[in-house]
Amino acid sequence: MKFDIMRDRLLAGLNDVMKAVSSKTTIPILTGIKIDVTHEGLHLTGSDADITIQTFIPVEENGEQLINVSATGSIVLQARMFNEIVRKLPTNDVEIEVSAGFATNIRSGKSEFHLIGLDASEYPLLPEVAADRQFSMPADLLKSVIRETVFAVATSESRPVLTGVNWKILDNELICVATDSHRLARRKIQLEQLPAEINSVVIPGKSLNELNKILEDTTDLVQIALTNYHVLFKTDDVLFFSRLLEGNYPDTSRLIPEEYKTNVTINGKALLQAIDRASLLAREDRNNVVRFETLENNTVEISSNSPEIGKVEEQISVENLEGEALKISFSAKYMMEALRAIDGQDVIIQFTGTMRPFILRSIHDDAILQLILPVRTY
Amino acid sequence: MAGRVIVHIDMNCFYASVEQVFDPSLKGKPIAIAGNPKERRGIIITCSYEARAFGVKTTMTVHEAKKLCPQLFILPPNFERYRHASKQFFQLLREYTELVEPVSIDESYIDISDLCTNRHAMEIVKEIQQRIYSELLLPCSLGVAPNKFLAKTASDMKKPMGITVLRKRDIAEKLWPLPVIAMHGVGKKTANKLATIGITTIEQLAKVEEHKIRQLLGINGERLKARANGQDNRQVDPDSIYDTKSVGNSTTLPRDETDYKALQMIMKQLSAKVAERLKAKRLAGTTVTIYIRDADWHNQTRSKSVKNAIANETEIFEIAWALFMKHWDESPVRLLGVTVSNVTDQQHVTQQLGLFDLEEQIKDEPIVELMQQLERKFGKGAVKRGLTAPVQGKYQANTSFSKDFLDDFDVIQRKSPPL
Repeated sequence: MKFDIMRDRLLAGLNDVMKAVSSKTTIPILTGIKIDVTHEGLHLTGSDADITIQTFIPVEENGEQLINVSATGSIVLQARMFNEIVRKLPTNDVEIEVSAGFATNIRSGKSEFHLIGLDASEYPLLPEVAADRQFSMPADLLKSVIRETVFAVATSESRPVLTGVNWKILDNELICVATDSHRLARRKIQLEQLPAEINSVVIPGKSLNELNKILEDTTDLVQIALTNYHVLFKTDDVLFFSRLLEGNYPDTSRLIPEEYKTNVTINGKALLQAIDRASLLAREDRNNVVRFETLENNTVEISSNSPEIGKVEEQISVENLEGEALKISFSAKYMMEALRAIDGQDVIIQFTGTMRPFILRSIHDDAILQLILPVRTY
Repeated sequence: MAGRVIVHIDMNCFYASVEQVFDPSLKGKPIAIAGNPKERRGIIITCSYEARAFGVKTTMTVHEAKKLCPQLFILPPNFERYRHASKQFFQLLREYTELVEPVSIDESYIDISDLCTNRHAMEIVKEIQQRIYSELLLPCSLGVAPNKFLAKTASDMKKPMGITVLRKRDIAEKLWPLPVIAMHGVGKKTANKLATIGITTIEQLAKVEEHKIRQLLGINGERLKARANGQDNRQVDPDSIYDTKSVGNSTTLPRDETDYKALQMIMKQLSAKVAERLKAKRLAGTTVTIYIRDADWHNQTRSKSVKNAIANETEIFEIAWALFMKHWDESPVRLLGVTVSNVTDQQHVTQQLGLFDLEEQIKDEPIVELMQQLERKFGKGAVKRGLTAPVQGKYQANTSFSKDFLDDFDVIQRKSPPL
């Protein structure tokens, strides 16, 4: 194997695959990155067994030659080391050559590294993904779907399936749900040509967070393919595989109230800032509690009180207030995260009582729905 | 804070003295309070002066003690009696001033500055000592000084039935010649550290350069230096003892245990004790810690924090047992302990409701709603939920370090907070 490549292109590719490499892996070869060189181009693969990322750098792009392949072949190099070396090479031209055995030479300018590589045939194969259960959506939409749901996944492993986001397809709609059992985020998207035979999968929250970092904010389509055990996100030059979480995701649809007793329409940004201020006096070890109380004349009061710190009260006027008077306590953190997901515009908050879940959504539709369980105070 | 008069009162051989009051035939005899040797708790908790004359000391094993003094009377501890006597002791002190700060079951600071405008301090402390002796039949030693540190140091100087006055001007003569280890607040470890910079007497500590001591012991070093110079500006705070930070129980097992059923049983009992004590104090906490000591005296501490503060036995046990199962390496267990910390008053407890167990969590919703309606109609505080009388637990104070003995005063002194 021998090829020359532009350093910045190699670095960009490495940057993506490094996101899948973990130092804590139990499979030694996964501490490395696999490099495959063909006459079409260069594949880089990184994996931690749960997430596998492969990027492709073509030999030629828009008439510009990126790689000069002298001999094809494959090698696995220590990920962290290789990445650092490439980052610090003196010139933009890099030559990589595997000579006898797995000894690898990396040359750039007058610098020359000799690295001991590993046998590429030992590296696990990519999961096989059939092309039939596929659909696609623009990268920017996928990114916002992730952003609007993934923050609500559980961080504790006490119910592993809740550490993922549930995706299911129902009547031409993709429904994404995340919950840590204290709050829930749901996003519905109308998509064309959704495969009908997919019922429900659970994608690890961590995978979606990494995917979000790799995807660019463009309207380019991302192909999404599902199997029973894996999901593949595919762009022009990146393949992103993630293992799915096993176990049945709880049915959450019946947990969302259908009738409400108090409806508040409020500017999301104003509320977010008021909650943020009130949370300064809320204590983490008491669930970050802030209080929300409806007053007369289209006004609500946000307050927080910690006996040993102090208290804060703030009144904000709302667009509309109808139904029963209400006093409710909830976690400032959950509220702020929900408001950020709905993103600033006017929101409707619908309550069914002091101890019942309440929902937030945009005034326009319920494409994004956030549900929060209140905090009980005694 | 000019011219305070602080008194430290230390009951002499408290448990032994109480036993001698209870059974006058034990008076003048060498007696010791100790746990059951068959359950490996055979350590002398305290002993009478008559026993001390034979060289019997606290923390000796019963076996060692019997060797020194074959006629030694060994009594099992009876905490009910000690609690009762302790209660009378503090009540008597409170007749003089509100500024009574209990330190442990048999020890207290009082601030009598305000009383000294009319009467001489010595007259008052003599009377206190006499009354404790005549009314409770218990001996005690008193230290009289301008601050807590000197008062505590003074009460230690003459035992039993001593009264020692320690003024600032006495320090050079009475305190400085002593080795640092004799100083309250300096233990073996600190003494060893001080020895590394050549400090062996309190005088050397008092005169050490600020930066040297700070480097060696940090802020605590500066504090010790100040104390060695007779400076201590802590006030007598009657409430300090109520600031419970954690509630824990531990037990040494009768034998090194490997049977997981037996260990589970013990963990359950410990959780029940902790729950009961939390209840008595109306507290709940968010962190559960377990202690495991194995047969080789290796100690392990593991803890877990939860979102909603807990106080009941089942919840404490569930977490404690899960921690134990996760970290126990199956080596024989000598001691087990369970502690709940990060505690707050139950009235400040909040409960983050959950999507999947909501129905269980809000079973009482109709009552709460009714109360809210009534409040709206008749004003805030018109109705209150069943004000629970403070619970008297049967598991209380079982070492002199535990502060549970104060819960009785707690009930008398503090009005039940509204729920």
